[in-house]
Amino acid sequence: MYDESVTIIENKKVNAEYYKLVFASKHLSQKVKPGQFLNIQMENHEGLLLRRPFSYYRVGGKKIEILYEILGRGTALLAEKRRGHALKALGPLGKPFTQKLNGKKRILVAGGVGVPPLIFLAETAPHLTSPRESRGREKEGLVLLIGCKSKSEVLPRRELTKVKGEILYSTNDGSYGRKGFVTVLLHELLENEHPNSLFIQTCGPNAMMDAVMKLAEEFGVEGEASIDERMACGVGACLGCVVETREGFKTSCVEGPVFSFAELV
Amino acid sequence: MAKVDLTTKIGTLIFKNPVTVASGTFGSKDEYARYLNYERLGAIVTKTVTPKPRKGNQMPRIFETPSGMLNSIGLQNKGIDDFIENKIPYFKKIKTHLIVNIAGESIEDFVALAKKLDREKSVSALELNISCPNVKKGLEFCAKPELTYEVVKAVKDTTKLPFFTKLSPEAHDFLGVAEAAIKAGSDALSLINTIRGMAVDVEKCRPQLANVFGGLSGPAIRPIALRYLHEVKCEFDIPVMAMGGIMTAQDALEFLIAGAHLIAVGTANFVNPKATMEILGGIEGYMKRKGYASVNEVRGSLRIKEASEDRSVPAG
Repeated sequence: MYDESVTIIENKKVNAEYYKLVFASKHLSQKVKPGQFLNIQMENHEGLLLRRPFSYYRVGGKKIEILYEILGRGTALLAEKRRGHALKALGPLGKPFTQKLNGKKRILVAGGVGVPPLIFLAETAPHLTSPRESRGREKEGLVLLIGCKSKSEVLPRRELTKVKGEILYSTNDGSYGRKGFVTVLLHELLENEHPNSLFIQTCGPNAMMDAVMKLAEEFGVEGEASIDERMACGVGACLGCVVETREGFKTSCVEGPVFSFAELV
Repeated sequence: MAKVDLTTKIGTLIFKNPVTVASGTFGSKDEYARYLNYERLGAIVTKTVTPKPRKGNQMPRIFETPSGMLNSIGLQNKGIDDFIENKIPYFKKIKTHLIVNIAGESIEDFVALAKKLDREKSVSALELNISCPNVKKGLEFCAKPELTYEVVKAVKDTTKLPFFTKLSPEAHDFLGVAEAAIKAGSDALSLINTIRGMAVDVEKCRPQLANVFGGLSGPAIRPIALRYLHEVKCEFDIPVMAMGGIMTAQDALEFLIAGAHLIAVGTANFVNPKATMEILGGIEGYMKRKGYASVNEVRGSLRIKEASEDRSVPAG
């Protein structure tokens, strides 16, 4: 874990919903796994007091990409930053998504802030079988379901070219992909496959994840969810970001943000 | 240039420097150990421990406000027995003072906690939290001087450990409460705990915190903390651990100059895990620049104009 000053290489609007932030750091890019995050300080504390947590979107060499939406004062401030501006970033923090699924098919269910870490996972997840056996069958091992409000949120194709599997979209207004919530897509998928052969990994709005977990329980499918709560320290000290689990409150910054469905109440 | 002397004494306790951390902002064990060397701190103050485990309050528990944050954690902790078994041993080999912050709902609770900790060799001092705004009865012992006196006296009669009594600016008779704590034998005071505040989500028309109220900390309360410190130092001869929005060395120096013995860094730890080390470095730098050999020369160096000097300022 490192706390470093970084210089913005790029910070621009990707579509109606997302902005992409790019910077480089030797330390913050080391041994990063999908589901982990950075706690980023945008300004000297006089501008904005606390840091804001952001999932890693992509890591290539020293280059780190973050995909974010404007959700409040912190992200609005971040969107105003330009190339050459400095930020302070603490990371990599948190427990990542499970990488090896022992042959199970990976069902990724994403929405909003949950889209970037699941694209990261979809790009880097180990293959269903050994790379040699899986050649030409890569799509079988992974499905990425993305729920949006409308077409304007759908990511440009260039952002998704490295995903090792099928991508299905749903939009609330039906302007792109299937009409309705992303759980419509998940329901169909669960109906057609054996529950023991699947593993769900989800990140997004709480209401979406609750619906995903309910379906998973109904069909008897295991999985894990990345929970994001308001966070201050990011290191397990303040106990501000706790999540209710079967073993009591756990910190989403250190003991999470990824929790198994079985752990969550 | 010669090294500056930061040694700070409170009664029989000798602190290598005046920089410590505010309870609740530094965890209970090794949460910050990968970011800084604990032995460079004058002392470590742990998160409040209670007689029994406490689950804490519901989420959301925190919210950022202008230059501050509201928290309503609700003293989440695993209780004193777990603390003694699993947290204290970690500090055995760490060469700095361990100050354990304790809270209870009754005098018996405080006494029981003090009794258990009195036996622990790694513990240098206690801090009585009689001012938590986030739990039922949290502020009760701070409400009236008589109640403060009773609880402090009971702890004094129980333990040989020196202790700080942490007060809330929300006490109606603040100086009365401070005086009661001192008279009952508190070795020092800790000023100030957070101040209750509130924020509303206007889209959902709901409070931003599940607990509705939360304790406000951060730079927003710094001037208030400084004022209480000054008031207490004017009135009583008692060492104070000061806290309230200390983010930088300059902030820390304000409190030292106003007479604080120790300065506790709180919310700043959340923003910058190395805040304490930067503040320590900054205090040393200031002392060298000003030609101070000892931090005792900085402490209480506040100069306030005499009334006669004030008259030289034209009125109106």
